[in-house]
Amino acid sequence: MSNIGDWKQAADELDAIVASFDEGEVSVDDLFAKLERATEIIETLESRLDATRAKVEELTPRLTRVIDSE
Amino acid sequence: MELESTSEPEPVLEVGEFYQLMTAQLEAAFGRRHPHWVRGEIAKVYEKGHVYIDLVDAGSASSDTKRPVLNTHCWATQWAPIKRKLGEDAVALKPGMIVSFLGYVDVYAPQGKIGFTITQVDVQSLLGDVARRRQELIARLRGEGLLETNKRVELAAVPLRVGLVASPGTEGYNDFTGQLLNSRFGFEVTLVKTAVQGDTAPAQIVSAIEALDAHGVDIICLVRGGGSKGDLACFDDERVARAIARAQTPVFTGIGHTGDESIADLAAHTVAITPTKLGEEVVALVDNWYERRIRVPTQRILDATAEILEEATEYAAERRRTMIFAVRDRLRAEQRHLTTTRANLLTHSRHVLASAEQLLASKKQLLGAYDPKRRLAQGWSIVTDEGGRVVRRLSDVHVGAQVSVALSDGRIDATVTQMNGAG
Repeated sequence: MSNIGDWKQAADELDAIVASFDEGEVSVDDLFAKLERATEIIETLESRLDATRAKVEELTPRLTRVIDSE
Repeated sequence: MELESTSEPEPVLEVGEFYQLMTAQLEAAFGRRHPHWVRGEIAKVYEKGHVYIDLVDAGSASSDTKRPVLNTHCWATQWAPIKRKLGEDAVALKPGMIVSFLGYVDVYAPQGKIGFTITQVDVQSLLGDVARRRQELIARLRGEGLLETNKRVELAAVPLRVGLVASPGTEGYNDFTGQLLNSRFGFEVTLVKTAVQGDTAPAQIVSAIEALDAHGVDIICLVRGGGSKGDLACFDDERVARAIARAQTPVFTGIGHTGDESIADLAAHTVAITPTKLGEEVVALVDNWYERRIRVPTQRILDATAEILEEATEYAAERRRTMIFAVRDRLRAEQRHLTTTRANLLTHSRHVLASAEQLLASKKQLLGAYDPKRRLAQGWSIVTDEGGRVVRRLSDVHVGAQVSVALSDGRIDATVTQMNGAG
């Protein structure tokens, strides 16, 4: 996985790419590179999300036991 | 010498006869077993099955060897219910107490004693005295601030280390510990066994409080199930109240039934009306902390985690959609731009071509005006030298030079023979 920094750094970069599209700053020459980078960031974020979700699902029952203990 | 007697001589009585006569006289004076109330101060108490109490006038000095003493006694069969009643009301007969006894005069010949057999004890007056002394003790403790001292001791946030002053196996002990055992928390109970009634109880309770205070526990619980006032009297003991006040550990009490309030309760940090309630309150303290510091934050963490994951998932999905649309839009825009540009180029090219054609025609027309053939047709001629260069002035040729003169219909080749300047 390429270096995209932490979640916030990655999200900031992704937002900047989206903003450049919104503002029409992307040239056709840059378009593929930007799309490729955005895809890479999104896939990395989703991969991290999946991993985090799996860990959360592993821990949730343990925390739920704390809540349900009477 | 014998004295002459003028009256009937008094009979000489045997000892037994004397006691019979005296008993008869006493019964004549007081009535046989006729009850009388006698009030006095207890000088001495001795109990061994039967109870023997010496009464003196209240306030009389013990050094007064002539002060009257009434030897009273109460036979075991009568003493048992009286003692039980006194015990229920937390009254123990002790020297110095002012008491009223109902009873009758009797003579006990074998020991040569005139005595008083007790049939009733005025409990109400004794209760009044006990209550007065209790109130005096409370006022004294309050005056010294001792009823508030332990209440100011800071309570541990999670009182799991419980010092227990109780008598194992009693109902109160089982009720209290049952609450802790049935809770979901791991209470660490340090028990100091004590009597919880009787004369030895106060000193044992004091020692237990001091030992647990030194041992280091979060709270000290005094536990005793229900009982008569007499059973619970040890918790009205001044020594116990002072030990509670001295303790650096919060002292909790769960003593007796609803409505029982001992002086220990007044001095304690926290009071529960029964051992069961005390157990519930201790568990509730930990439970409240658990709820506030563990369960609620855990729920918040779970909620926040779900929210963060949801937001992040939505963010990633939204960005994915946005990128797809943004790229598609961008490509469409570029496509539109190219299409427009192509159209513009066509239009522009045509326009340029038209302009060029127009310009070319104009130039062509203009050039036509300068066409040498037209000039030659008008009668003009063009002289060129041997190199084909147009001769414009005399200096371009010299005498003898070969020149060619172009005319509208042909050419004249000539030789320069003479040059004459204009003017």
